[in-house]
Amino acid sequence: MRFGTRSETVERLHCQRYLPDDMKKILLVEDNEMNRDMLSRRLQKRGYEVLIAVDGQQGVEMAQSQSPDLILMDMSLPVMDGWEATRALKSATTTKHIPVIALTAHAMSTDRDKAIEAGCNDYDTKPIELPRLLEKMEMLIGPIGNDFRTENESS
Amino acid sequence: MSELPKPIEERIQHMLPRNLLHDLRTPLGHILGYAELLIEEMQASGHEEFIPHVEKIRKAGRKLVEMMTDNFQSK
Repeated sequence: MRFGTRSETVERLHCQRYLPDDMKKILLVEDNEMNRDMLSRRLQKRGYEVLIAVDGQQGVEMAQSQSPDLILMDMSLPVMDGWEATRALKSATTTKHIPVIALTAHAMSTDRDKAIEAGCNDYDTKPIELPRLLEKMEMLIGPIGNDFRTENESS
Repeated sequence: MSELPKPIEERIQHMLPRNLLHDLRTPLGHILGYAELLIEEMQASGHEEFIPHVEKIRKAGRKLVEMMTDNFQSK
């Protein structure tokens, strides 16, 4: 079998199925390269446009310049961590309306509280369970259209 | 680990470096995420005969996450 590169995949999705204006834009703020690759590819397959930032500072800047529909924010980030970045986003008039879902590797309830306190709209733990995350995303920004769900979305 | 007497379980927890359980979740996430991505790619490209093998990797990974969450919640 042959795996397309990420840009080929995106291009194919754009050409065959979408006008770019119809796509929901997700900003993924994640410092781990493999997590970025994995999650962005899986979200693109489902019809989302994915923008990438590699630290909290860049995440805040890109949220301001790109106005994404939703932000997936890793919490342990270099330069500026996810909590600080979320507080910055939620205190700026241009970005405070953008929903933020916190992603952390800790599964403790105090972590959830800390994320919500920083202004995150929702919270999910790593390793990501994609169907669960997609559900949370849809709760915040609505469905993308069911034809793009893969058939076997079991966990 | 649930069969172990409590003191032993506590001793093991005490022996583990503080961030080890947290750190283990990252590579485990890669194994799971790429296994799931591979399954999606195989479904899309019609290579379904390999899916049961990858499914075994995915299930083992999920089991490991479950065990870590149930028995060794990071402090």
